[in-house]
Amino acid sequence: MNETNPTPPQIPPNMPPPIASAPPISSYAPKPLGENPEERVPITSPIQAIEAILRQPRRVMYQLRQPGAGALMLYLMIIAILCAGVYGVIVGTFAGHDQLWIAPVKVAGGMLFSALICLPSLYIFACLSGSQARLAEIFGLVMGMLMLTTILLIGFAPVAWLFSQSTESPNWMGTLHLIFWFIAAIFGLRFVSNAFSHSHAKSNAGFNTWVVIFMLVVVQMTTALRPIVGTPPIAGATNTKEPFFPTTKKFFLSYWGDCLNVDSERSDRTR
Amino acid sequence: MQGEPANISASAPERLDTKPARLNLLLRGEVTSLEAWSAQWDSQRIISHIGIIVIGTGLYGAAMGWWRDPMQALYTAIKFPLIILLTATANAMLNAMLAPLLGLNIPFRQSFLAILMSFTIAGAILGSFAPIVAFVIWNAPPLASHTQDSGGTYSLILLTFVVIIAFAGITANFRLLQLLRHLGGARRNVAFRVLLAWLVGNLFFGSQLSWILRPFIGAPGLPVQFLREHAFKGNFYETIFRTFINLFRVH
Repeated sequence: MNETNPTPPQIPPNMPPPIASAPPISSYAPKPLGENPEERVPITSPIQAIEAILRQPRRVMYQLRQPGAGALMLYLMIIAILCAGVYGVIVGTFAGHDQLWIAPVKVAGGMLFSALICLPSLYIFACLSGSQARLAEIFGLVMGMLMLTTILLIGFAPVAWLFSQSTESPNWMGTLHLIFWFIAAIFGLRFVSNAFSHSHAKSNAGFNTWVVIFMLVVVQMTTALRPIVGTPPIAGATNTKEPFFPTTKKFFLSYWGDCLNVDSERSDRTR
Repeated sequence: MQGEPANISASAPERLDTKPARLNLLLRGEVTSLEAWSAQWDSQRIISHIGIIVIGTGLYGAAMGWWRDPMQALYTAIKFPLIILLTATANAMLNAMLAPLLGLNIPFRQSFLAILMSFTIAGAILGSFAPIVAFVIWNAPPLASHTQDSGGTYSLILLTFVVIIAFAGITANFRLLQLLRHLGGARRNVAFRVLLAWLVGNLFFGSQLSWILRPFIGAPGLPVQFLREHAFKGNFYETIFRTFINLFRVH
């Protein structure tokens, strides 16, 4: 007979005692805006708006819901336009000359225009998701997103400037700027997403769909407003002035394809 | 000075009477509010719903027609809301009769207002996408220069139109289904049967109306017109049938 016991004795394992200080699961749910007294302090200047969006984004979200949030929205918009303009100057330093004023106008105007044409669909998606946010609040959040994105772009500006002085490929520079914008936009969109979680939205599917639409619109805007980076003058070549707006209509994928062909031809010539 | 904490849900009832708040409730599909709205004939609310349909679908129609010509944009901006409003009105009697026959005992007023509200949702969604569609058209080569090479762009734009209209339609009908389920109580499949019957009727009528009121986008080789010369000649289903027969004809 086999005397070995196939089942081990039922000894209760030594479970660690529950930690009294561990927070309950419910405490991980987002706290209501304005719970912290610091969030209720009004934002009265553009500098405070910059500090708040970087350090206390919940304060901006809360203040955007208050009556008389128009001044804050204006601050957010003006700072976004200024920061986009400054980054635009850095973009323009690659080609120099007229591009030093054309690029800031196009970068700031393009970003603002993209946000404005996508604003109605964001509001509709927000409502469809069950959010109770008003259109004015959504506008403020979009301006906050733009401001955060452009402030971060300013942070990338020294790196972008260094590359713009040491490379000759407009495609490379364009790609670099797009990567910087993409990284900055992630943070900007995260700000809006966090604000949505406080507006009783039942699902993020609508917002995520809108993010894809917004990204496509901005990328297409770079093609619609081309040239933004511009082409540096080649020594010995006749410098032809590029038009402010493109003369032909293209979708960004076909434009990118054309750019790659031109870049390879350009490198063949300089070889 | 410190502001008081404002909880959106707490301040919401104060904003229910404003027009944006009503649109917000409509889009969120708050069935209790929608039921109350459909239960009484409030002319102001109906006018605001019709206004949203006219502006929303009008803007979307204008963006579509703009690809062919600015005049086509104006024509489509008039015709698109017309289709929606005429379909809702012309089928109102039929829809009101079908609902009780299929087990949902609601009066004419409630069925008409429920359908009008679903069209309002679709109109609001279409209107919100109009700026993006206009931007897409602005970036597209003119329709008049449509050649074999620009076939991809042409297809992409048509696909964009269809996807947005389909999204608006599906969302609006989903909200309508939620309302019908609420009205129907425990009998959930009654709501689905009624919605299906209404959809079939509205699609049947709406397709033919769209056929008569063509063109909406226009074609490069044909003139810009409000209606085609033989608008009332033939019908949508006959054309589909002929196309189908041609596909399988043995040469």
